[in-house]
Amino acid sequence: MSPPNSISIRKAFYEWRLYMLVVPSLVMIGLFAYFPAASAVYHSFFIWSGGADKTFIGLDHFQRAVTDSVFLKSFITILILVIANIFKLIPSIFAAVLIHRVISNRAQYWYRIMVVLPMVVPGIVTLFVWKFFFDPNLGPLNTFIEVTPIKSMLVFLDTIFGWGAFQEGRPIAWLSNEKLILPALIFWGFPWLGTVGVLIYLAGLQNIDQSLYESADLDGCGPFRKFLNIELPLILTQIRLTLALLFIGTLQSYGQQYLLLGENGGPGRAGMTPGLWMFNRAFFNREFGYACALGLILFLVILTLTWLNNKYVRIEK
Amino acid sequence: MKSPGYISIEGRRVRYEWIKHSLIISVLLLESFAFYMMLQISVKDNASFLVNPWLPPMDIFSEADAPQKVDTSAWHWENYGEAMPFIFPYVANTIFVAFFSTTGTLLLAILGAYFFARYKMPFSGPIWAAFLFLMLMPAIANIVPLFTLLKTLGLLNSLWGIILVQVATCQAFNIFVLRGFIEDLPKDLFEAAEIDGASHWQQIRNIVIPLSKPILSTLAILLFIQSWNEYVLPFIALRDHDLFTVGVGLIYLDGEYVKQWGLVMAAFFLSSIPIIVLFLFFMRYFIRGVLSGAIKG
Repeated sequence: MSPPNSISIRKAFYEWRLYMLVVPSLVMIGLFAYFPAASAVYHSFFIWSGGADKTFIGLDHFQRAVTDSVFLKSFITILILVIANIFKLIPSIFAAVLIHRVISNRAQYWYRIMVVLPMVVPGIVTLFVWKFFFDPNLGPLNTFIEVTPIKSMLVFLDTIFGWGAFQEGRPIAWLSNEKLILPALIFWGFPWLGTVGVLIYLAGLQNIDQSLYESADLDGCGPFRKFLNIELPLILTQIRLTLALLFIGTLQSYGQQYLLLGENGGPGRAGMTPGLWMFNRAFFNREFGYACALGLILFLVILTLTWLNNKYVRIEK
Repeated sequence: MKSPGYISIEGRRVRYEWIKHSLIISVLLLESFAFYMMLQISVKDNASFLVNPWLPPMDIFSEADAPQKVDTSAWHWENYGEAMPFIFPYVANTIFVAFFSTTGTLLLAILGAYFFARYKMPFSGPIWAAFLFLMLMPAIANIVPLFTLLKTLGLLNSLWGIILVQVATCQAFNIFVLRGFIEDLPKDLFEAAEIDGASHWQQIRNIVIPLSKPILSTLAILLFIQSWNEYVLPFIALRDHDLFTVGVGLIYLDGEYVKQWGLVMAAFFLSSIPIIVLFLFFMRYFIRGVLSGAIKG
């Protein structure tokens, strides 16, 4: 590792050509990242529908946002999804630990490849295949539920709790019943094996010293105790990392909800996320100014969370 | 096969090995279920799918299962023939976008990374901070102004607009990774080249690029997949059907009311093929890429 050559201001005058190396990148990020960001801040103070006309209204959009019931409710929806996604990390941890414990190196290698395999299907294809799974009439999920006793169980539970979601003789409308949208989004992607997650955990597990296992064996530790006392503490760093990625990713999500449920987030706006509401206001209601304000609020929320994460969640390398 | 109770050389017990294997395999099978369904439905028509939703086409269904005399054993390869002309232009557009945004990103990123890695010029610090901050900045607030920006630049209904935005948004991470890599290259190489009178451009072409091939391949694969998966910006920016990328094409396909599911699944599979080919050839870089992409944070 060599430290870069330091060049004084006087010498830099003769070496100005060096700056030309970084100028293209700078122009690109200036034009397509910083300029839009600045434009978002600026236009959040205006009534603006994307054209040249705009009316300054000060902080009215922000005032409106904090009383916008759809926007506020969307944060509850996203909170539920974030919590669900935390639980959805468990299968990846479980799979990584199991793969790590397999003795045969050959088998480990093949399992690792099989974990990466789902990556070859573009995200949008996986999304639409899952949408098809939830199709009320043809979807494999309903076909499976109809031929097993699960259907009558769900109908029975429904009569007790009065959900009004499951009825005998009617297909379950996963994505078009207000009460089922969130459960469907939570079930989404079963068995929730995240390629990136498993690989990160495996990388962490690889650092564990063999001797730890040997001494645990001598102490008579069972497989579960080994997990709690050896593996879990040592991959906590990786788990925190994936948690941070997950928080930021989920908070920004709206593409999936839009493609599955439409611009209103389904009936009763049950699947409305903050990002989707911003998207909705901009491209379906022509309220670009308001959408900029919503985006800005969301941006600040995410930035604060990232900052808190970097400050309080130490990731030791 | 090792007998139960066998203690391996490493001292780890192998008695319960089969439990681990069966658990892992069952999770992996469940995980690949969506892929399996996509493949097997892609060779059926709607009628035989209704009779036989789970298995590939085969002739095991009685009259009672298929009252209207559905031929459940036919493999409808013509689904692919019909999906091909529909999906092929989209695949071609996406390859175009992914290729140019990948090469464009890496070209600019190498120049930028060389600048930061080799010299500490006045203002290097603040410029570096401008890139670093982008890695923390959530992209969500940008999408609306980005749309109007593309409109003003006349890039709204154009693949180049998508490419430029992708090149710009990928700069920060790629410069970050490449800078670290170039800093680790032996300094003597550059000094020797300078004594021989090599220009910066020659040093980049003859030293940096050949030596950073592994990391460049890894980044290229990541960028290509990222570009392939993009659908939000193309969806709001592209209007002409001739310009649609795979993502937008599939959104429109999904929006049709009456669907031949076999055809739809064939289209899905066809739009995954370029990535599958990439995977088959560059598996090693693929796995490394997934990891480095994850560590970016």
